[in-house]
Amino acid sequence: MKRIEPLNSLFFLLSLPLIFLLTLPLLQMTFQPSLTMLMETIADKEVMGAIARSIGLSLGAGILSFLMGTPLAYLLARKQIVGKKIIEGIIDLPIMIPHPVVGIAILSLTGRNHPIGRFLSDIGIQIMGTRTGIICVLLFVGLPFYVNTVKAGFESVPIQLENASRTLGAGKFSTFLRITVPLTWRHMILGIIMCTARAISEFGAVVIVAYHPMTAPVMIYERFTAYGLKYSQPIAVWLIIISFCLFILLRMLSNSTHPQCR
Amino acid sequence: MIHLENINLRVPGFVLKDINLHVQANDFFSLIGPTGSGKSLLLEGITGLLPFSSGTLLVGNQEITNLAVEKRNIAIVYQNFALFPHLTVTQNIFYGVAYHSISRQTALKRFDSLVSTLGLEKIIKRHPQALSGGEKQRVALARALILNPRVLLLDEPLSALDPIFHEEAKQLLKKIHDDLDITIIMVSHNFSDVLYLANRGAIINAGEIVQQGEIATIFERPNSKFTAFFVGMKNIHPIHNRNGKILIKQENIEITPSVQPDITATYMAIRPENISLKTPGMEKFENCFTGKIERITGNGVFLNVYLQTQNFQFEAIWPRSYLRDHDLDIGKPIVFGFHPEAVHTF
Repeated sequence: MKRIEPLNSLFFLLSLPLIFLLTLPLLQMTFQPSLTMLMETIADKEVMGAIARSIGLSLGAGILSFLMGTPLAYLLARKQIVGKKIIEGIIDLPIMIPHPVVGIAILSLTGRNHPIGRFLSDIGIQIMGTRTGIICVLLFVGLPFYVNTVKAGFESVPIQLENASRTLGAGKFSTFLRITVPLTWRHMILGIIMCTARAISEFGAVVIVAYHPMTAPVMIYERFTAYGLKYSQPIAVWLIIISFCLFILLRMLSNSTHPQCR
Repeated sequence: MIHLENINLRVPGFVLKDINLHVQANDFFSLIGPTGSGKSLLLEGITGLLPFSSGTLLVGNQEITNLAVEKRNIAIVYQNFALFPHLTVTQNIFYGVAYHSISRQTALKRFDSLVSTLGLEKIIKRHPQALSGGEKQRVALARALILNPRVLLLDEPLSALDPIFHEEAKQLLKKIHDDLDITIIMVSHNFSDVLYLANRGAIINAGEIVQQGEIATIFERPNSKFTAFFVGMKNIHPIHNRNGKILIKQENIEITPSVQPDITATYMAIRPENISLKTPGMEKFENCFTGKIERITGNGVFLNVYLQTQNFQFEAIWPRSYLRDHDLDIGKPIVFGFHPEAVHTF
């Protein structure tokens, strides 16, 4: 007979309230709307538009973090740069700043009163109430998740592999593409997933920079304040279902890359 | 072939000081020293991965002190082999070919030859994770040798291997050196490996070369207490020089060497395996002592036997069977000694 370990049982009991806290509200919300209600909601073009916008812009932020965050993560993982700890601290800042503050900070920099805002406006880039503005905010809040994940990936590649590659004749860039990237690809996918996931959930900063065009969290909030719980729940359920499927897909993609490296 | 002249290399907390090394073409040269002596650092410096703070590195007649790592054609096989885990054995071996002007035909010919020499036929489609230590090393060697490097650097090639592969790998390295006429610089802390493989070498301690030359000379005639200890000598004592004889300081023990000690000599050493029992019928030792067995340590085939004479102790290494054949044990009175040729002074 399997022996019951008292310490494990105690820890399990102590964990239960936490598990309930996480699962019960989500289960309640997911199963409360009727199927008809869910079908009606998905047929609503505004709702689908907001969910598609949320996912699309969040993926956009994820891809931008991949393009811009990868070099930064590499530098932080591999080089002894001056002020490295300070840079790492700055990258982690968005995790602790209240989200509306992020929105306000971005607006204050990109408004007509600021030279940067005027410059952006002159070259035709609008932040307030635009998709560009939303992506900007989402990148701000999602970047720490990408950079930290990929930095850990780069750190996990033994420097000797890169050194061996160079002694075999490959230059630094070639070594990066042929050795470092294939060995950190899964971390990059995971980083994009983390950044995108964080971006999809963002409300506080987005609502300040762009109430319109409406992302799914803003629409959920709008429907809640205007029509009540019953009309906001189905949108939330669809957002969860679609995002969940997307992340499963991305995970499968990352697992199928270089199975021998796992 | 390879000349390191007045090389200094600084890394945080360590410095290689005034290194002057001369490796000749086709040498199997060994850098020997204890862990942390700076020998692997020097190897990284030769590859170019760590820049020298000062000094000159010449390979052939070309100065390559500031040449980029990838342009040196100096291959290194690391202690942990550094095989690329996402590539198969074949892909690993071919990795560097694209960066060298090697025709496809030549590369394929060299590949076939290396696969056959190193016995890789059965594993060429595998990934490194599915290889044993010995196989990984052979793949790492093939990956380096397919490029026909000017010099092959080996960083502790035998220490990460299981004992079962150790001997096999040693034979293989010898074969590669003999067959391919290649210049090899090997870092090692194991003098018995070096003695088997290398023809020349240098002893390095705390970032400085303390002796270099023919391995046999280093082994037979160490020039310092450190080297003597490192090449396996024991019974190392400070000495006085008295009328061609040696007097061990403070102990009034007189020893006869075969050659007159150098006037600057301050130490003597005797290999423990050169001390033996005086048995009936044996010609007289010039250095002969009466005493008893004080202590026996070790539990392998060879035992460390501590021989007490008056107030002085010698250390000998004898096979277990030697003790059994002569019915020796702790406390047993014996007569022992060594020939004058066994006495080394420096």
